[in-house]
Amino acid sequence: MKFSYNWIREFVPTLHEAPGPLERLITMKTAECEGVEPVGELLSGACVARVESVEPIANSHNARAVVDAGLHGFKTVVCGAPNCRPGMLTAWAPIGKKVINGVESDGMLASPAELGINKDHSGIIELKAGAPGDPLPRCAPDAVIEIDNKSITHRPDLWGHFGVAREVAAILGLKLRDAVDLSLIPSAPPAIGIQIEDFSLCPRYSALVFENVSIGPSPYWLQARLTAIGLNPINNIVDMTNFVMAELAQPMHAFDADLLNGGTIFIRPARFGEAFRALNDQNYTLDASNLVIADAAGPIALGGVIGGAHSAIGAKTTRVVLESANFQASSIRKTSAAIKLRTDASIRFEKAQDPANTVRGLARAVELLREISPGIRIVGGLADQKKEMPAPPPIALRHDWLERKLGRSISPGEVRRILESLEFRFDEPQARVYSVSVPSWRSTKDVSIPDDLVEEVGRMVGYDSITPVAPLVPAAVPPANPTRKFQHEVRAVFVDQGFTEVYNYSFLSEESVRAFGFDPAAHLRVSNPIASDQALMRASLLPGIWKNVTENAKHREAFRLFEIGLEIHKTASGLPDEISHLVAALYERHGDGAAGLYELKRAAECLMPGAEARPAAARPFEHPARSGELVWRGQAAGRIFEFHPSLVESGRAAILDLDLRQVESLSALRTKYAPIRRYPSSAFDLSVVCPLREHAGNLQTAIASLSGPLLESIQFVRQYSGPPLDEGQKSVSFRVTLGSPERTLSSEEAGDIRTRIIEGMRSLGYELRL
Amino acid sequence: MLDQSIQELESRSLARIASATTLEELEAVRVDSLGRKGPLAQAGKEMGKLPPEDRARIGKLLNSARQNLEQALEAKKRGLDSGSLNARLEAEWLDVTLPAPGPRRGHLHPITRIQRELEDLFASLGFAVLDGPEVETEYYNFDALNIPADHPARDMQDTFWLDGGNLLRTHTSPVQVRGMERLGPPLRMIAPGRVFRNESVDASHEHTFYQLEGMMIDRDVSVAHLLYFMKTLLAAIFHRDVTVRLRPGYFPFVEPGFELDIQCLICGGSGCPVCKQSGWVELLPCGLVNPNVLRMSGIDPGEWNGFAFGLGLTRLVMMRYAIDDIRYLQGGDLRFLEQF
Repeated sequence: MKFSYNWIREFVPTLHEAPGPLERLITMKTAECEGVEPVGELLSGACVARVESVEPIANSHNARAVVDAGLHGFKTVVCGAPNCRPGMLTAWAPIGKKVINGVESDGMLASPAELGINKDHSGIIELKAGAPGDPLPRCAPDAVIEIDNKSITHRPDLWGHFGVAREVAAILGLKLRDAVDLSLIPSAPPAIGIQIEDFSLCPRYSALVFENVSIGPSPYWLQARLTAIGLNPINNIVDMTNFVMAELAQPMHAFDADLLNGGTIFIRPARFGEAFRALNDQNYTLDASNLVIADAAGPIALGGVIGGAHSAIGAKTTRVVLESANFQASSIRKTSAAIKLRTDASIRFEKAQDPANTVRGLARAVELLREISPGIRIVGGLADQKKEMPAPPPIALRHDWLERKLGRSISPGEVRRILESLEFRFDEPQARVYSVSVPSWRSTKDVSIPDDLVEEVGRMVGYDSITPVAPLVPAAVPPANPTRKFQHEVRAVFVDQGFTEVYNYSFLSEESVRAFGFDPAAHLRVSNPIASDQALMRASLLPGIWKNVTENAKHREAFRLFEIGLEIHKTASGLPDEISHLVAALYERHGDGAAGLYELKRAAECLMPGAEARPAAARPFEHPARSGELVWRGQAAGRIFEFHPSLVESGRAAILDLDLRQVESLSALRTKYAPIRRYPSSAFDLSVVCPLREHAGNLQTAIASLSGPLLESIQFVRQYSGPPLDEGQKSVSFRVTLGSPERTLSSEEAGDIRTRIIEGMRSLGYELRL
Repeated sequence: MLDQSIQELESRSLARIASATTLEELEAVRVDSLGRKGPLAQAGKEMGKLPPEDRARIGKLLNSARQNLEQALEAKKRGLDSGSLNARLEAEWLDVTLPAPGPRRGHLHPITRIQRELEDLFASLGFAVLDGPEVETEYYNFDALNIPADHPARDMQDTFWLDGGNLLRTHTSPVQVRGMERLGPPLRMIAPGRVFRNESVDASHEHTFYQLEGMMIDRDVSVAHLLYFMKTLLAAIFHRDVTVRLRPGYFPFVEPGFELDIQCLICGGSGCPVCKQSGWVELLPCGLVNPNVLRMSGIDPGEWNGFAFGLGLTRLVMMRYAIDDIRYLQGGDLRFLEQF
């Protein structure tokens, strides 16, 4: 929201702080400002000038004009404006001399846009009155302070200049002049009826009727104000409503009274399917959740959001009904969100405006209309319907509590001064216990508990006046987070093994999900995705890692990377299941991929010592002959595989996908200590001849189960294929170590076990090379 | 006569030791001179036959000859040993400038690095590190934080909604609520994690980024305590003393609420492009926990109160490493990631 410095100064006449320092003060004490911009700089030194003569310049669109600039004297100016003609009154601005089209031009004649009055750049400004040399009436260079909208979400009063002026006066200890003279509202019976169906949706609706209205442009000073803060001047009546809104934060709407049906305005929920054509020329179909302002024939405005096209002010309007109402914040927000239309009015109403402000807005309107629509007359008196709104009870504020919260001492007089400067009413029924009444414009949503008053006092006394203090709290060891610790350990393992950590997005496209053979319908879906290809929540980290592999393979011949992240799985109800996974990839452009897969398996074993890979049916994205399930401590923990060659254009990528929740729970198993064996063990090697595609793991399991209780360990030694073995055969060698904690095994015992294994393996159909 | 032959044997053997070139030759000298059947041993055995007046003198002579020979043999043996060792060592030359085989160490993601640093830092100050789900309910993400439905503050955070009515957490603040519910007061906790906002991605905006939420609940926690913690933490984060300031900021879950600025670390406060000439950089929102939030989490605000803050972890990472494009962080490009 933009604020005009000159406008603020109207209510704080003794303000001498320059715009820059003022902006910083507002930031420190009230709300975040985003900068100061000068506007209407050309108005500095600009004056009324009468065009005396205009002569064409050869070979140019421009003309040579001589103007009477009063005390500045006669000036020769090169001007290209089509409306530049002798006798007209316009504005001359001293910007120095410059030769244009061979003519020395002294200063310039300015368009309204150049002067910052409105957007009109079609010609130089036309003034109706004034003597050459006079300054432009009530138009002066200004500075615009922009306040971050987010930082005044809670402050309905700061959506108007008067509210900001009140803050400025409080910050600087200056006097605030009220913007409103309530005595301007005549006391007479109202000229229009008002009927509010639901006072909770519309706590107050006030209106005045005017006649003998003339429609035309607003005076330049008013246009300049609106232009400075980013509003477009339209006509005097509409501009006036915008002006009051920008000043008092009270949105208003003007209806053409002659286009209304009947003498009563109804404020009611829309009927289902009711049609409404708004000022923006859009048609809306309404339902009961939308509050409408209606006449006997139907909706004339969408309450608090936008007026209707039918009853809009036009060039022929002579009678006006001026609405100044108050609406329930959440209802306005809902309607505005539902029809996707946020207006200056709805943005204000959804901050919970002060119902007391409706009549103040009308009073200010009367004052302005007398000036900008000469001859205007009020018909009847104020029409005003409202629900009784008892003032909220005062807040009890204990002085010592306030000091404890702030962490500094403050004198009671200072507390009182601050709160009163912000127009809180301050009483002290007991010593150092205050009773603080909240002004109506702060009590709609903003201030209701003592903590809110801590903020008022704190910000005004200045947070920079608080000295940091170490809290006196017991030292305590915080509760542990074993999962996080475990994941950091996993990271350390994989980084040590040469893997680099990546972070991928939680969103996936349907296409990538399908490419992996997953069912998009099984995924949790984002209702309002940023893009259609980011609509599904990842139920696997694999598509992300696949993308990393594909992208990095463009620059690298070999690399290792991993990610730890959450798989998000849809559940029947409640929150989804979020399972932490690790996916690691080992990519090599050259080679047959076998070494990569085994290297990745080794890395996995660094995390899960003794984990085994068991042959498993390949999923669609896995190399059908290179995939396995990883089993650790008897439980499935994940998979290891090579990406299907159709997914990897050149080279091969070995992939590890671990369920970290599972791995973590298996890691938690305590190692049980066993004494170091005192008796020597005995070992022998066995070579099993088997078909080439026999899994060594199966042989090992078979040997282990044949070995009996004296088996200490069994280890793969090597495998071999080639002569003298038959084609299609290989020999796999294991070292079997036997031992007992109680004694040294005799060579007969060891020999018996060896024989048992050999015979057992033979009976399973394997030949042994001895 | 005996005296002479001992001396001759000694000098002859010493000469042979000196000229020996192999351990074998040396061994031969040892056997010849000091061996059990050698002349010295022989002479020793015959000592008894000597006249008593000669025994002491000859004995001395024999001992001295034996000692001299033993020393000479030992010295020579050492010489020969180290010679052959040297030859072996010389033959075993390695090019130490060759790179070591095997993979190089990988790299932690920069966010992980800073996050760990902060976790350790807070843990050392007695803060628990808590986690919460990335998919949250409306209640935990908004209502329990004093942001009821249709509150305009909901517009401050563009939310990703999920089919079924849940949402992607827009901040790590819901973990505050879960922490209060689970652990109760007194409480010191942080919650680093991934958050989501529905905004378009460019060099400085991301729909997915990381925050670190912090909270302390105890008795009589004040703005002065908040300031103390923030100053302490920021000094540790930036490895230098930082000047901070609080100014009003609006967040429904705190009251009063602040924006905490630090004096620009680039220009020291004199104004530069990084701080947009203001001398200050907005760093984190914080405040005293709104009593409504405490109450909703089952904590009596009459007895307990606290402060909360939210640190933009992603932003901090970018500041720390001077990263000028946020998209790198989730781009998965090793050329970027391997720099950390």
